[in-house]
Amino acid sequence: MLKIRNGRDFVGGAAMVIVSLLFIWFGRDLDVGNSFQMGPGYFPVMLSLLLIGIGVLIMVQSLVVTVKGEPDAPANWKAYALVILAPVFFGLAISRLGLVPTMFLMIVTVSSASKYADWRHSIALALFMTICSVVLFTRLLSLPVSSFGPWIPFLGN
Amino acid sequence: MDIFSNLLLGAATAFQPINLVYAFIGCLLGTAIGVLPGLGPTATIAMLLPITFGLQPESALIMLAGIFYGAQYGGSTTAILINLPGESSSVVTAIDGYQMARRGRAGAALATAALGSFFAGSVATILLAVAAPPLAAVALNFGPAEYFSLMVLGLVASVALASGSLLKAFAMIAFGLLLGSVGTDVESGMPRYIFGIPELYDGLNFVAVSMGIFGICEILRNLENEHERSVGVKKVTGLMLTRDDFRRIRGPVLRGTALGSFLGVLPGGGAMLSSFAAYALEKRISPNRAEFGKGAIEAVAAPESANNAGAQTSFIPMLTLGIPGNPVMALMVGAMIIQGITPGPNVISEEPDLFWGMIVSMWSGNLMLVILNLPLIGLWVRMLTIPYHLLFPAIIGFCCIGAYSINNSVFDVFIMAGFSVVGFALSKLRFEPAPLLLGFILGPMLEENLRRAMLISQGDPTIFVRSPLSLSLLIVAVIVLGLVLSPSISRKRDEAFTE
Repeated sequence: MLKIRNGRDFVGGAAMVIVSLLFIWFGRDLDVGNSFQMGPGYFPVMLSLLLIGIGVLIMVQSLVVTVKGEPDAPANWKAYALVILAPVFFGLAISRLGLVPTMFLMIVTVSSASKYADWRHSIALALFMTICSVVLFTRLLSLPVSSFGPWIPFLGN
Repeated sequence: MDIFSNLLLGAATAFQPINLVYAFIGCLLGTAIGVLPGLGPTATIAMLLPITFGLQPESALIMLAGIFYGAQYGGSTTAILINLPGESSSVVTAIDGYQMARRGRAGAALATAALGSFFAGSVATILLAVAAPPLAAVALNFGPAEYFSLMVLGLVASVALASGSLLKAFAMIAFGLLLGSVGTDVESGMPRYIFGIPELYDGLNFVAVSMGIFGICEILRNLENEHERSVGVKKVTGLMLTRDDFRRIRGPVLRGTALGSFLGVLPGGGAMLSSFAAYALEKRISPNRAEFGKGAIEAVAAPESANNAGAQTSFIPMLTLGIPGNPVMALMVGAMIIQGITPGPNVISEEPDLFWGMIVSMWSGNLMLVILNLPLIGLWVRMLTIPYHLLFPAIIGFCCIGAYSINNSVFDVFIMAGFSVVGFALSKLRFEPAPLLLGFILGPMLEENLRRAMLISQGDPTIFVRSPLSLSLLIVAVIVLGLVLSPSISRKRDEAFTE
């Protein structure tokens, strides 16, 4: 009976097959054409088929070859969530709160992803980053972001 | 000789005060990120790309190049002083450099690294000036078929030189090429994989993608096993090398420079591979090899020369052919496109100021780096005391603003966040992200040339083997592939990467 000897590669190969299937599915309306006049779908479909092939090979390999891999570091879900959600928060808040509150809140919050975080350091860093980003981006580079957004009473515009 | 007038032309651009200032900023930033572990040149250049939009093209590229080769200098400082390579290309320097520091010869090790790097940088600059124009002249005759074959060679070679499983590297290339097909199809104008999102008509923004995969993803990995750095650095003294030191490093520097210059040109090569190869070579042939691992000055000189030479010559394929050999070069290509310059063989003839200015600036930048690194060593040591828990929030902050400023839209910020997840998942599954980015950058070019070639040949795929140039490129690709698949080489490759 076949046994999965390398679980990580089995998942990896399967992930590649799934990715290719997604590309084929979402590109199903694209005209493939022929090799003389390739349609917009030709290149992605051929690549997806290639990637399915590679993915299957990786899966087959994972059934045959045992690999001694170094174990993963223990997952740190709090850090993952904070670091990944920080840019999402930034994207959602920047037009509503403005650069100053968004940057300040984001830095203070994301700092706590580290186990060495210290709230005094975090606030100092957040103030520093906020001032830097305001000077650099709204003054020097004149990006179209306001320091305070419409959700901030009195200061916002 | 033409080359002198060209270099003069370059000097006129590179020595303009404003460009000197940007070269200096680039070198300063490069050294800083080289010193700071957890922040590499790829992420930094991606982060700073949006800021360069407003600059002159020459200034922008000079600064970005400075960051790249500056990081090679900075990385060696931490490797020697605290046995912590700030940059992947300084991993082998740490072995003997740190031992030298422990025996009170930190100054000599730092001086060796800086002088070796400077020598290698100067040689590589000349090599770049000599080799680039003829290469570009050959490339001017390239048709779609030749370009297609060249890119195939580049992608195959990048697999050969990546660490880890070959199949996985190929999977990453295919995945990258697929991601590159998102956006409006160039030939037919049909939107592909855009899901009704208007921002995707131009495709995924590669700055946002690389900031996610290299910048944010790196933070996720670093926070997993976070530990405080205890920095116990003694005062560095004795930067002067003795006559005996000079005699001992002469050979390793020359060999390291030669090896690095050669490996840097290869696609997928560059600084890291060069330093590993140079160390391995010295370990085999040096008369003092018994001392290796215990603080041999040769083992610092060779890899440090090689990584700087490799960093510099990796500009050759990018500048002459428009083909990026590593992720940093891919970002440089992006920077050129943003500035309205089409990378490729035409750059030399159409933008001589930019081309030669950049080359000369590499030499002047190297000189600045020697000055920056040796007398200011105390400053860099102090930077090491910045703890990571203060560094990573700042990186995230700059990445967010950087992504936002690409198109003044939050969409790219979300793309960045999304690709940090993709990159993290891939790294958990032990897929290398570098071939993915290379495929992503080359994807649209590869597809365009493939389709043009097939149109010209009316659907006859033999067009790729009928042209002698294209055929030879493909033959080289097959040879590279064969070499990689052969068991003896792949065993050597594993050794080289585990060492």
